[in-house]
Amino acid sequence: MAAFAELTRNRALCYHCKLTNIRPLRFTLIFAGCLLIGFGVLLTPPVQSVDGQFSRALVSVSHGLIRMFGGHATRNAAILRAPGGFAVEMRDGCNAVNVSILLWSAVLAFPATWKMKAIGLLAGTAIVQVVNVFRFITLYYLGQYSMTWFDFAHAYLWESLIMLDTMVIFWFWVTRVLRAGAAPHAPA
Amino acid sequence: MPPLKPQTRFLLRGSVLLVGLLSLWWFLLLSPMLYALKGAAGVFLLIQENPSGDWTLRVPLEKTLPATPQQPVAQQVHSIDFDMPRSDVIAFTFSLPVYWAIIVAAPSVRRNLRALLAGTVLMAAVEMAMLLVFAQIAAHNTAAQLAGSADAAGKWARHLGEYLIVSVLPYATPFVVALSLHRELRGEIFPWNKDVEAPASPPPGEPVQRRRAKKHRP
Repeated sequence: MAAFAELTRNRALCYHCKLTNIRPLRFTLIFAGCLLIGFGVLLTPPVQSVDGQFSRALVSVSHGLIRMFGGHATRNAAILRAPGGFAVEMRDGCNAVNVSILLWSAVLAFPATWKMKAIGLLAGTAIVQVVNVFRFITLYYLGQYSMTWFDFAHAYLWESLIMLDTMVIFWFWVTRVLRAGAAPHAPA
Repeated sequence: MPPLKPQTRFLLRGSVLLVGLLSLWWFLLLSPMLYALKGAAGVFLLIQENPSGDWTLRVPLEKTLPATPQQPVAQQVHSIDFDMPRSDVIAFTFSLPVYWAIIVAAPSVRRNLRALLAGTVLMAAVEMAMLLVFAQIAAHNTAAQLAGSADAAGKWARHLGEYLIVSVLPYATPFVVALSLHRELRGEIFPWNKDVEAPASPPPGEPVQRRRAKKHRP
């Protein structure tokens, strides 16, 4: 197995061999595999329980930030309630774990050292979660203003923006990997 | 002011375009796109639109429901009807403006008009396929409930399929299709394309160079 991995790596490095599909195919297969495993594990009951606790922690952080900047909100588990009666709940799918799994799959599938992968996983997840907390707070205020705009921003706009952020985070990480020379076949 | 990095430029352009194109879709394109989706998916399913805008889908499904204490005789089911709120149907049209935003935000729009057109057709087909798969999963969920099935693995697999169709694929597919069709964007993010298409320094004594030298001789 290790010899096969070495062989494919050497082939990809070789200028004479125009086997351009080796690494894209490898990336695609590992990415799809990680994705299925990640979402499969996410939907098991024990992980769902942890996922719920994570959502509550994110709501707690959002609540703390709103109060720190002089806003008003009360928190009950994963629900953030405004004085006017509007309430928003962070459910599974709103805590950016799905986007994080996409990022993890891409980072794990890309050829890099384990140190660089660890940096990508930790820093990438942290950035995605910071953006997600910002998203949750903006939705909290938007929902008090207009439910139509809340639905649009919640289901479509913010989800797409977070996906775009994730893609750009991955792009930045790939550039860093190549600069560090941590990827096989990195340009000098 | 120093020039922006390609990633930052793409992020800024993409964000502005997402806001603009998704607003355009929400206010103008949504109704015609729903009409087109209904027409295309209607080839495979019976779809009726209610006055409220919700859809009723009839999914052909041959299944024998076993006898239960409430229903002592086994029943043969030929199709399953279920309602789908308009807000859920909308999710199967929004990937297209997201795809447009990514392609227009990527470098050299004019050189990639073919990717824009081909991707538009592909995304429309993928969205319709996702609606059909979602309808199948929903029908099988209903059938399993009616049959009183306690198959935990089947339930988990349907839940996984539904989760992917509703919460992952509509958001991820435009990016995957854009990276597949837009060669320059793919080359910017994934270095292996660049390496092969434009090698910076081929090894010395390379046969390609020798051939080129011969070609220039009078």
